[in-house]
Amino acid sequence: MVYYLTTLLVYGGVDAVACLGLSQQFGYAGVTNFGYIIFQSVGAYVAAVLSLPPESANGGFQIYVGGLHLPWPLPWIGAAAAGALVAVPFTFILGKRLRGDFAAVGLLVTALMCNLLVTNFRPLFNGAAGLSLVPQPFSGEATPQGAAYAWAYSAGAVVLAAAVYFFLRRVVRSPYGRTLRAMRDNDAVADSLGANLRQLRTAQLVLGGAVAGLSGGVLVGFITLWDPQAWGYAETIVLFAAVIIGGVGNHKGAVLGAILVPLGFEEATRYIPAVGPPGFIPALQWVAIGLLIVLFLWWRPQGILPERRILLSRAARAGRAVRTADDRREPAPSAMAAGAEMPARSAPAGIAAWRRPGTAEAARRAPGPVLEAVELTRHFEGVHAVDGVSIAFPAGKLSGLIGPNGAGKSTLLAMLAGTLAPTSGIVRYLGEDVTAVPAYRRARMGLVRTFQLASEYKRLTVVENLLSAVPEQRGNSFRGALAGPRYWREQEEAHIARAEALIDQFGLSKLADAYGGELSGGQRRLVEIMRALMAEPTVLLLDEPMAGVHPHLAREIGSQLLGLLGQGLSIVMVEHELAIMDEFADPIFVMADGRLLAEGTMSQLRQRSEVVEAYLVG
Amino acid sequence: MAAFDSVSHLEASGTPGRPGASGTLRGGGSSLSVSSLTAGYDRSPIVHDVSLDVRPGEIVSLVGPNGSGKSTLLKAIVGLVDVMGGRVLLDDADVTGWAPEEIVRAGAGYVPQVDDVFSPLTVRENLEVGGYLLPKGEVAGRIDNVLEVFPQLRRMLTRRAAKLSGGERKMLAMGRVLMLQPALVALDEPTANLAPAVAREVLEGHVRHLADIGTSVLVVEQRARAVLQISDRTYVLGGGRVVMHGSPDVLASSPEFVESFLGGTRA
Amino acid sequence: MSVLVASLAFGVISASVLAIASIGFTLQFAVTNVLNLAYAAVMTASAYVAYEVNQAGVVVWVSALVGAAVGATMSYLLNRVVYTPFQRRKASPITLVIVSLGMTLIIEFGTQAFVGGTNVSYTMANGPTLGVGSFVFTGAELGIVAVAVATMIAVHVLIRYTRLGKAMRAAAANRDLARVCGIRTARVVTVTWILSGAVCGLAGVVFGMNAGSFGATSTDIFVVLILAAVFLGGPGEPYGAMVGALVIGLGTEVSAAFIQPDYKDVIAFVILLVMLVARPTGLLGART
Repeated sequence: MVYYLTTLLVYGGVDAVACLGLSQQFGYAGVTNFGYIIFQSVGAYVAAVLSLPPESANGGFQIYVGGLHLPWPLPWIGAAAAGALVAVPFTFILGKRLRGDFAAVGLLVTALMCNLLVTNFRPLFNGAAGLSLVPQPFSGEATPQGAAYAWAYSAGAVVLAAAVYFFLRRVVRSPYGRTLRAMRDNDAVADSLGANLRQLRTAQLVLGGAVAGLSGGVLVGFITLWDPQAWGYAETIVLFAAVIIGGVGNHKGAVLGAILVPLGFEEATRYIPAVGPPGFIPALQWVAIGLLIVLFLWWRPQGILPERRILLSRAARAGRAVRTADDRREPAPSAMAAGAEMPARSAPAGIAAWRRPGTAEAARRAPGPVLEAVELTRHFEGVHAVDGVSIAFPAGKLSGLIGPNGAGKSTLLAMLAGTLAPTSGIVRYLGEDVTAVPAYRRARMGLVRTFQLASEYKRLTVVENLLSAVPEQRGNSFRGALAGPRYWREQEEAHIARAEALIDQFGLSKLADAYGGELSGGQRRLVEIMRALMAEPTVLLLDEPMAGVHPHLAREIGSQLLGLLGQGLSIVMVEHELAIMDEFADPIFVMADGRLLAEGTMSQLRQRSEVVEAYLVG
Repeated sequence: MAAFDSVSHLEASGTPGRPGASGTLRGGGSSLSVSSLTAGYDRSPIVHDVSLDVRPGEIVSLVGPNGSGKSTLLKAIVGLVDVMGGRVLLDDADVTGWAPEEIVRAGAGYVPQVDDVFSPLTVRENLEVGGYLLPKGEVAGRIDNVLEVFPQLRRMLTRRAAKLSGGERKMLAMGRVLMLQPALVALDEPTANLAPAVAREVLEGHVRHLADIGTSVLVVEQRARAVLQISDRTYVLGGGRVVMHGSPDVLASSPEFVESFLGGTRA
Repeated sequence: MSVLVASLAFGVISASVLAIASIGFTLQFAVTNVLNLAYAAVMTASAYVAYEVNQAGVVVWVSALVGAAVGATMSYLLNRVVYTPFQRRKASPITLVIVSLGMTLIIEFGTQAFVGGTNVSYTMANGPTLGVGSFVFTGAELGIVAVAVATMIAVHVLIRYTRLGKAMRAAAANRDLARVCGIRTARVVTVTWILSGAVCGLAGVVFGMNAGSFGATSTDIFVVLILAAVFLGGPGEPYGAMVGALVIGLGTEVSAAFIQPDYKDVIAFVILLVMLVARPTGLLGART
């Protein structure tokens, strides 16, 4: 009985740790890693060979590298380090812009291949037979056979699982964790707003790898053996099943999943009478796991414990202080609909919210144009989408970019922002050549764009959407996250206050805690503009910000934007609604067939026959 | 009448009296009548309450600024976009809400703006797929007929469509739609991404050809001036609604017409 | 020398089995756009039903037809009951892969639950043999090669010359355009599941014949060979899959003559990974 209970606890702890690592990668960072089991396995092997005496010691019946016979905790540390190290090459597959399902297949196959190699290559870890007689921690000092040892070990596993949980919770509840979720929801947008995707993904693979490796080390220290059978590709699916069933994007869900799926299934079998041919019940277990995956993905893709909405608005936090019972309730859809398309009422006087005082100076100091395209060209399969365009956008103005369909406006904007590489030509920002600077770094320099298509983060609240764009957040790095709320809380509060001021100004106060995915089309455009403003831009590039927005609201947005110009902000706006352009933009640049056709105010342009013809002739 | 009227007749009669090879390609134009059509994606309408007519043998153009809903309207007519209200009548058949593959059977052909050919297939195979609904024995003859209309295609029959130039590709797309001798052809911006000279050839050559053989044409076009010259009637769309319609001559000389492109439509 | 001849001969047989499986897989992917990782599980399940029929006294080649029918039925149901509903909901490709892995578990271990964990073998008559150099092909092996050749010819004729085949290629290339050509694409997709499922079932039986004995989990590694062949030729390219199968089949067997045979499949893994990372459109599929 003691043995049974302690085994249960150790397995539970180990499974929880493994699921937490996967939850971190899959649920928070959106990295679908079907090779995850490799990390755990490497941890187990490394812990084993670090604990084992030299191979001759046990009569030499098994062959392996190492045999260092190190005392605890070195094998566990080694296990975590090995998991982290093995994760590095995975970034090559996940770093590629590959179809999601292709990348998944690549990783699944990597797991199979590693298993095959380890099975057949005996000198590494004794091949198919695997390693056994792995010394348990403190086996010299304690008696591993005793009940006290078993209890101590299981307590250790549970404590470790709790420690990993709190550690990862600290990571995901920080601004850094918010950036991870932003990347998960829409990586291209996160990129354009200053997130270094490659670095973030690598960090998460390594972090998850270390966690998984540790789980392997703890497991092998208890069961004292490890072989290729223990980590078939199906084991990865079990862990995925646990996270999907427990709750995607919720570490508590991962722990619950670990208890329900790997552990629960293992234990449930003990109570099922042995019916059918040998192997019947274990086979049905697998069938049940497969069924659960499919059924959950269909009926409850968010899992038993869904991702928790993070309520940051004043209203929610004030309310929470009073009625704690209600704070989990999601805002009613009807309330959201009622707030729809509410035009902003406050005058552009409260504008200071969009940037910290003092940051406008850089733009004011720079002489001449803030942003310049010099002979910019972009070809798509022989088509000259943009063909040698040179434009200088003046400081402190709302410049318009218009032209008929296919004129190359959005392509030009993408090259200015760095989301698209030019075939030739130069982009100059504040007098500096930034042609080779990647999008996220341009964003950090103050050159920020919005997208023509909806680009809000669907599973971040409106406040979080805004916060995600703030540069230089103390908590927006792995180290900052680890330093804990005490390190970043104060600054975060200031950012939240700024975000709320903007949200008030744009008339979305009621929706501050609504998810991006719950908003109407027009509200999403507002969120994108506000989010771009939170990035403290010097130059703001807007790609059709009024598309799908009610004309009345479009005017409000226009006047809000004009209000921002005085303080060092410059705006470049692509928009097809010429009446809006007429009212707010000056100067206006006309493009047609990939070239710059004319420049002037709308009324000047209207007089120019080549502009009229461009629109009528296409 | 050299061959037969339309696909619908073809389907009804099974094997028509004379094989397609017997004469030049002729389509007996049919009429399209759209009334109070509201359509869009995911339950949010883009086209509102649009009514228009295409009479047999006419070229009718749809123009308007970016985002005015022209292409969506066309897609709704051929069944690629959800219809939320109103009716689409093809001759006398009510095809509202039909699947595109069924609307084709009723006699309407459609040439999309992009992805208008099957890139991995050869030119000949594209035409064969275009003639998917024809009885097997008639495909070859009909290809000959199409090649009479677009003789340039003849020397590239074995080339893969992906290798064609923009103009050749558009020619193939129109040849493909002609395979069924549709009574009505809906063209979505046939000159998009084409060089101006090629665009002129497409409008004044290819689109005219369609009308010359009796097909009714509904064409969405960005190049308003150019398309006006070949149209019998024109509808101007703005903000998903018809803002003007009439004969090209009248429209071209009207200041409101120019304004509808440059002045904004929601003001 | 005789080692080389033997390994080439084994390579031809392996390539034949692989070619049948890969053609079915790539055809399925091309038209339906589902990367159905449960394909290999369907192969095994079909092979088992064929085994039961075979044990009842039916000639193995007739049993193979039963296997094909089972593969067709299972694939049809898989699409109808599982994939189509998810696709209608606009599930992401990654979700569909997870679903297909779930279905792999269900089918693979469902089979195991019924038949148990032991391996089984078909009862085959010793047919005519053919000696090539020092190597002697058994009747079954000759049959496998013949079936592979027949399958390839059949698929070639289907996609090049038949109305259905053209509709399949059209639907694969551009679903909407195919519809406005009058092709009832929903029906074409259904037929594709049935046809590719039949090929899949056939591949399962042939795999079992070639393996000598097989169990419910025997195709776990084989699915990687299929993927390697498919991605080498370009996913969705039937001719690419044929070439890919030949390269992988010969490559693994010939290399087995020179390196330790245990590692022969690793070559396929490496090819697949290199293709995925460097050129996911495949060697033949890079044209579009």
